Amino acid sequence: MRVKIIYSGFFLLFAVIFTGLFFLQVIKGGSYRLLSEKNCVRLMPQEGTRGKILDLNGKVIVDNNLSYEVTLLPQKNEKVDSTLEMLAKALGRNPAVLKKSFRQNLVSSYLPVTVASNIGTHSAIILEELKADYPEISVATRPLRHYSYGKLASHLIGYLGEIDRWRLTRMADYGYNTKDIVGFTGVEERYDYYLRQEEGGTSIEVDHRGRFVRILGYKPPQNGKDIILTIDLEIQKIAENCIGDKKGSVIIMDPFSGAIRAMVSRPGFQAQSFVQKDQAAIKDLFSDESSPLLNRAISTRYPPGSVFKMVVAAAALETAKINPSTTHVCEGYYQVGKQKFNCWSSHGIQDLMDAIANSCNNYFYQTGLSLGGQAIHDYAVKFGFGKPTNIDIFNETQGIVPSPFWKKFTRLQGWYNGDTANFSIGQGYLLVTPLQVVRMIAVFANNGFLVTPHVVAKIGGQDTLIWRKKPSTVGLKQSTLEAINAGMRKTITSGTGAVMAQLPVEVAGKTGTAQVFGSRTHGWFTGFFPYKKPRFVICVFLENGGPGANASMMAKDIIDQMCREGLV
Amino acid sequence: MKEVFIIFIIALLIAVFGVISIYSSNYHKEGEPWQSIYKRQIFWVCLGALLFFLMALSDYRRLWDWAYFLYLFVIGLLLLVFLLGAIRLGAQRWLHIAWFNLQPSEIAKPAIVILLARYFSKKTLFELSSSTAQSGFLRSFFIPFLFVLIPAGLIIEQPDLGSGMLIIFILVTMIFAAGVKLRYLLILAGIGLTSLPIFWHFLHSYQRDRIMVFLNPNIDPLGAGYTIIQAKIAIGSGGFFGKGWLSGTQSQLHFLPESHTDFIFSTFAEEWGFLGVGILLIFYFLILRLIIRAAEMVHDPFGKFLALGITLMVGIQILINLAMNMGFAPVVGIPLPLMSYGGSSIIATFFSLGIAASICRSSNYA
Repeated sequence: MRVKIIYSGFFLLFAVIFTGLFFLQVIKGGSYRLLSEKNCVRLMPQEGTRGKILDLNGKVIVDNNLSYEVTLLPQKNEKVDSTLEMLAKALGRNPAVLKKSFRQNLVSSYLPVTVASNIGTHSAIILEELKADYPEISVATRPLRHYSYGKLASHLIGYLGEIDRWRLTRMADYGYNTKDIVGFTGVEERYDYYLRQEEGGTSIEVDHRGRFVRILGYKPPQNGKDIILTIDLEIQKIAENCIGDKKGSVIIMDPFSGAIRAMVSRPGFQAQSFVQKDQAAIKDLFSDESSPLLNRAISTRYPPGSVFKMVVAAAALETAKINPSTTHVCEGYYQVGKQKFNCWSSHGIQDLMDAIANSCNNYFYQTGLSLGGQAIHDYAVKFGFGKPTNIDIFNETQGIVPSPFWKKFTRLQGWYNGDTANFSIGQGYLLVTPLQVVRMIAVFANNGFLVTPHVVAKIGGQDTLIWRKKPSTVGLKQSTLEAINAGMRKTITSGTGAVMAQLPVEVAGKTGTAQVFGSRTHGWFTGFFPYKKPRFVICVFLENGGPGANASMMAKDIIDQMCREGLV
Repeated sequence: MKEVFIIFIIALLIAVFGVISIYSSNYHKEGEPWQSIYKRQIFWVCLGALLFFLMALSDYRRLWDWAYFLYLFVIGLLLLVFLLGAIRLGAQRWLHIAWFNLQPSEIAKPAIVILLARYFSKKTLFELSSSTAQSGFLRSFFIPFLFVLIPAGLIIEQPDLGSGMLIIFILVTMIFAAGVKLRYLLILAGIGLTSLPIFWHFLHSYQRDRIMVFLNPNIDPLGAGYTIIQAKIAIGSGGFFGKGWLSGTQSQLHFLPESHTDFIFSTFAEEWGFLGVGILLIFYFLILRLIIRAAEMVHDPFGKFLALGITLMVGIQILINLAMNMGFAPVVGIPLPLMSYGGSSIIATFFSLGIAASICRSSNYA
C-alpha cells in the first residue's frame, strides 16, 4: 500500500517534469531562443563617413578628417597595465590618463578599447611599427567632422552633437537611435537624413567570456551623400571678412532663383568645439549673452526702418495714391493729430525718387496715411513679410506685420493714424528678418517675382530644383518697379548711399536706420547690383550698429571686393 | 532474460545520448584532455556494461551476505576522502587512484540501498511489512537512521549536501515503505522542520546563495543565479526540434557551466529539443517501470526492498537533476544517472541496474 503511494508520487513528479519541459521548450521556446542569441551574437560597428558639404563650385567647406586613435584588444592581453605604460611613453601622455580611459571604455573583451584618440600621424606610424611586439595594439581611423574654414558660415552649416530626446522622438521612425550623432541647426540638421552615414558592421559570435568565435555576417557601411550648397565660398569669405566682429548679418542672394550666395551671422561659433567635445567652449557658447548660436539672418526679427519704404512706395503706386511725380514738401516733421512725427532732415520739395534717395520720412508719412494701415499690411504680406520665407534651414522666424485687426486682436487697442505713420517708415510694431528684406529687394531686381530662398543646390548629385517652389509673381506694374528702382539707383548716385557711387558696378539700394527703444539704432543696407542686369541682391544688417551709413560702408566694401575678385 | 536485455539496451542508449552530449559540450574547448573526455566516458560505460551483466547474471541474493561488508567498505572510502581526498571545485569529494578519480559518495548510494534492503527484510520472512511494523522505535527507526547518518554525515561534510540529503531521503522513504509506525515519521518531520533554522545556520554560504537564487535567480544573475538562468535559456532555446548536434550555442560557447556533468541535460535539451528530451524521458520511465514491475512480481522481501531502493535511488536522482536543470529545484551536485560525465556515477548506476535486472530475472521464474 505504502509502496503504491511512493510509486504514484514518482510518476506524478515525472509528469510534472514533462509538462514543465513542454512549457519551457515548446511554449516559451521562441523567447528563450532570442535570449540565447542575445547571449552570443554581438555587433562590431563600423562607421561610414558623413556626407561632405561643398560650395557652388565644388570647393569643400566641411569634410571629414581621419583621426587616429589607439585601441587595445583586451582578450589578447593579460598584462594591460604594462602595455599602457609603454603606450603612454610612445605617445608622450600620462599613463594614469590612459589607464583611466581604458577602464572607462572597456565594454567587452571582444571589442577593441579606445585608449587614446586624436593622436598625430607621426605617433600613428610609430605605433604601427610597435605592432610586431604588441599585437594587441592597433591604430584605428575614425572619420571626424572637419571644418576647413573655422567659423565660416557656421550658422548656415550648423553643428553636430549627440541626438537629444526631442529629436529622437521625432526621428526614431527614420532609423535614428540614441547616441546617434546628428546635425543641429543649419544644413547639418535640415539635411541630416541625406548627410548621415549608415552604420555597417560585422556580426560575430562570441563565447561566454565575450571572446571572438566566428563571423556571422558583414554589412558594409554606407557613406552619407555629399551636399552642394548654393553658397559661393569666395563671396562668403568676403562677407565674413567685411563684417568682422560686428554683430549682425550679411545675406547675398541670386534675385532670380533665390539661391543664397553668402549668409553670415555674427557672432559666430566654432563647430569644431562640438566635434572635439570641448565642454568649456560649448558651455561658453550657450551662456554667452550675445547668443552666438543664433542665426541673425533668419531667426531674429528686427524693425526694418527705411528699407521698408519701398513696400509703401510700391503699394501707393499700385493703388494710384501717388504717381512717380507726386511731390510732398518736407519741413522736417509731420503733424499727425496732436503728435509731431520727425524727419531726419528738412528735405523741402521731394518727388518719389528724391524721397527714396534721401529716405525722406515726411514723404512716406503722407503717402502711408493716404494708403492706410490695412493697405500697407496687405502689400507687406505680398512682399513676403509676416510669414516664413521657407528657406531650407530650420528655426526661421516669421516676424510681425501689424494691421488694424492685428492690433485689436493682440493689443486690444484701436489703430491710430500715428500707427500708420510709424508703419510707413518701417517702425512701430513691424518686425522682419534680414532674409525677408533680401527677398523683398529681389522682387525689384527680378522684375516682380517673390522667390524662395534656399541654400542647397544639389544632394548627392541630384538637383534640388524639382523640390523647390517656383517663384511667384507679386503682381506689380512695370512702371511701379521702374520708378522705385530709379529711386534706389538715385540713393546710390546722390542719396544716402552715395558711398557706393564710385564702385565699378552700378548699385541700386536703400539704407535704413531703425530706431530701437532704449538702445543704439540698427543699421540696414539692402540693394542689388549690377543695376541694369541684376545678379545679386544684398542685405547688410548691423544689430545696434548705428545709422544705415555704417551698413552702407560695409556693403560698399563687400561689393568692391567682389568686383576686384571678378565675382560680379 | 528478456528484461535484462531490454534494461541493458535502454540504459546503453541513454549512455550513448550522454556520450554524444559530452562530446558536443567539449567540442569547442581547447586542449586535448577536454576534447577526449568523451573517450573516458565510453570506457566507463563499457566497464559499467560488464558490471551490469556480472550482476544481472548472478543471483542478487548473494548481496545479502555482502551488505555489511559493502557498507563498511564505503565508510572506509569516505573516511579516506576525508583524510586525503582531492580538492576540486572547492569540495573534497574525490579519491585519486592511479589514473582516475573515485567519487565514493556515488558508490555509497547503492551500498546503503543494499544495507537498508537487508535490514528491513528477513531472509525467512515472506511478508514484507510484518517485521518492522511490529518492532519498536529503536529497531525500526533509530538503528537504520544511525546506519545511514554516518555515511550521510561524511558526505555532507565534503561538502556534498545534495548526495547526503538524497541518501537520507532514500532512507526515509524506505522506512516508510517498510511499514514503520507513522507517528515516528511524523515526529521526524516535526524535528526536521523545527531544526530548519538551525540547519540554515550550518549551511555554507554558497549553499545559502543557491537556495536564495533558486527562489529568485535574478537577485544575482551573474553570480549564483547565472547557472540557473543559462540552463533555462539552453533548455528553452532548444525548442521543439532542437538546434542540432554541435550547434547549441549555450553549451558550445560555454555560457552553460558544468555542461558535461550536472548540466548535461541542458546541453542535450538545447541540441535535440523537446523531441529528444521526450524520448529520453520515455527511456528513463521505461527502465523505472521495469524495475517497479520486478519489485511487484518478486516474492522475496529482500528483492522487493532492493528493487524499491534502486528505483528510488535512480529515479530521485533523475527527478532532482532535471528539476534543477529547469530551475525547479536549487542547484545541488546530483548527476543525471547514465548521462552525466563521471566514472563513479556510471559504474554505480550500471551496477544497480544490473542488480535490478537480476531481480527481474528471478521474479519471472517465480
